[in-house]
Amino acid sequence: MEQELREIVRKLLQEGAIEHFIGYAEGVEPLHTTPCFIEREEEVGALVWSPFCPYNLARYLHQMKNGAGKVGLVVKGCDARAIVELVKGNQIQRERVVVVGVPCQGQVDLAKVEEAFQGAEAVEDAGDTFLVTVGEEGHSVEKERLLREKCFFCKHPISFEYDFVLGEMSPFLLDRRSELEFAMIEEMESLPVEERRAFWRAQFERCSRCYACRDICYACYCQECIFESRAPRWLEKTTTSLDNQTYHLIRAWHMVGRCIDCGECERVCPMEIPLRQLYKKVEREVEQLFDYEAGMRVEDLPPLVTFQVDDLGLVI
Amino acid sequence: MKAIKKPHLVEWLNRVAQAYDLLGPVLDGVVQFKRVKSTNQLVFDYPNSVVPPKNLFLPQTECLFAFRREGGSIILEPAGGLERERVLFGIRPCDAKSLLLLDKLFNRDLVDTYYQEKRRGTTLVGLACPSPPQRTCFCTSLGIDPLSPEGVDILLADLSDRYLVEVTTERGEALLGFSRELFLPSAGEEKPRREKEKSLEGIEEKIDSLWEDDYWRELSRRCLGCGVCTYLCPTCRCFDLTDVGSTLGGGRFRCWDSCIFADFTHMASGVNPRPTGKERVRQRYFDKFRYIPEEYGVLGCVGCGRCSRYCPVAIDTRTVINEIIARSTK
Repeated sequence: MEQELREIVRKLLQEGAIEHFIGYAEGVEPLHTTPCFIEREEEVGALVWSPFCPYNLARYLHQMKNGAGKVGLVVKGCDARAIVELVKGNQIQRERVVVVGVPCQGQVDLAKVEEAFQGAEAVEDAGDTFLVTVGEEGHSVEKERLLREKCFFCKHPISFEYDFVLGEMSPFLLDRRSELEFAMIEEMESLPVEERRAFWRAQFERCSRCYACRDICYACYCQECIFESRAPRWLEKTTTSLDNQTYHLIRAWHMVGRCIDCGECERVCPMEIPLRQLYKKVEREVEQLFDYEAGMRVEDLPPLVTFQVDDLGLVI
Repeated sequence: MKAIKKPHLVEWLNRVAQAYDLLGPVLDGVVQFKRVKSTNQLVFDYPNSVVPPKNLFLPQTECLFAFRREGGSIILEPAGGLERERVLFGIRPCDAKSLLLLDKLFNRDLVDTYYQEKRRGTTLVGLACPSPPQRTCFCTSLGIDPLSPEGVDILLADLSDRYLVEVTTERGEALLGFSRELFLPSAGEEKPRREKEKSLEGIEEKIDSLWEDDYWRELSRRCLGCGVCTYLCPTCRCFDLTDVGSTLGGGRFRCWDSCIFADFTHMASGVNPRPTGKERVRQRYFDKFRYIPEEYGVLGCVGCGRCSRYCPVAIDTRTVINEIIARSTK
């Protein structure tokens, strides 16, 4: 698959079809990758693909907003939803992006690997299982034990047209009941409001407002973020409990109808705030109120840019 | 050298905590240095905290003074200040080294009284690093010894059932006085040794030759412009001043800021002298490896590896250093 990808990119660069290609390259640490920008043919060898490619590279398409040329990138099925949303939001033109789809079979949660197999050097996808190598030993592990939570509920945009596909695109299916997708939300909703408030207050209190969750987010493309606006000043730089709550709740509101559950915000949070839980709640509300799911079809109208007469009373 | 048995350490800290505010590593979501009410909250088996203990001396949000309008005049009231002397338990040698650097930075032309008061009022009890180190640790490459007592008043080194105790200052000696009977002469145990690697000699000149190098542009394309590397860096110390409240009353706060943020150098005129990620990323590495060495004679990085460990897109400072060396013409 890597070879195929490299050939595609080599050809695209040769033909001058793209200015650069955004993909995954090996990281410094074992099991890590890092996003990479390929500008020259001789660099295509750096491109890799593995179950350790969490980055939603569509985030980097923000950079092409002011340019004129074309850019290529590799996307997992889930990441393609970000492209759908970026097109919908007039942030990119579909024809300026060469999308190479990769049939991902689930991404590994590094924290889970570290916890279960300290010092793991390699994790290979062996179909139904992952093969973990620690020193001389090899362990065959059920995929469920090491996967990122979001991969249990893998979703692809229904009618997305990739320019290239490595193999065949299909959602990655695990034998999990889909009703489990919002189990953590239901559990939280069953708690008394005071407990919920205390839970989130404690989470937000340790937030350092590094803004990694915002800056990794494909959907955060505002030219001037509300949190940086000086006049009016909506939020101070102070990091009191209230300031931090304000930050996270405003951001959650801004994700309405836009969050595609790529889970990147939670992955990058150094303080381990369970942000996915917050955004799953938003996703659930949108689904229940508007029967809408972000990132599925370019034609779908986002719920907050349209209205129906019977919305009155529902939202207002 | 002395030694203390592990159960006795807690006993000693309990006594210390009666006379001082005790700060130490606690697990609150992640490992953080915080004030503890009881030694039960402390964790002893941790690689290092996520946020370095610089936040105990330069809090992320610090009220410098409060103000209020009263009649025709404005009243200013000092804020902050330590209520009691503090003991910080569990600081690692790299972070202790970073405080020595911050001391220089905050006492150069003007003495930063807010920082200084907290430093003077805090006794440091360090913990030598466990072996093997974290994958991202590289202090030895910068000439720092992960078992060194430099910068702390007392250094403890884990010898499985007890700690070897190295007291380096009178303040440390005074702290031992709380339970002198628990500290026994060590039976000649040797502190484990760690080989120092070659330090990065000449990195200042090397990076200096790369001001216009394309590498900074390449690097900045991957960089998201978030504050992880700076906020979690033990030697980053930039802050912004902001007044919170109204004309009737409020406070002046200083809050951490980051050179990686796009608005860091954004001026009121609208001009931004570091207009793109390229200039901002370059600034960060030039600060560590050029400006600080030039001004203070030491490297601006202590090799704690937090930036590499927590970077959302796996930008690794070790790679950057290697690139600087490889690309340099000097």
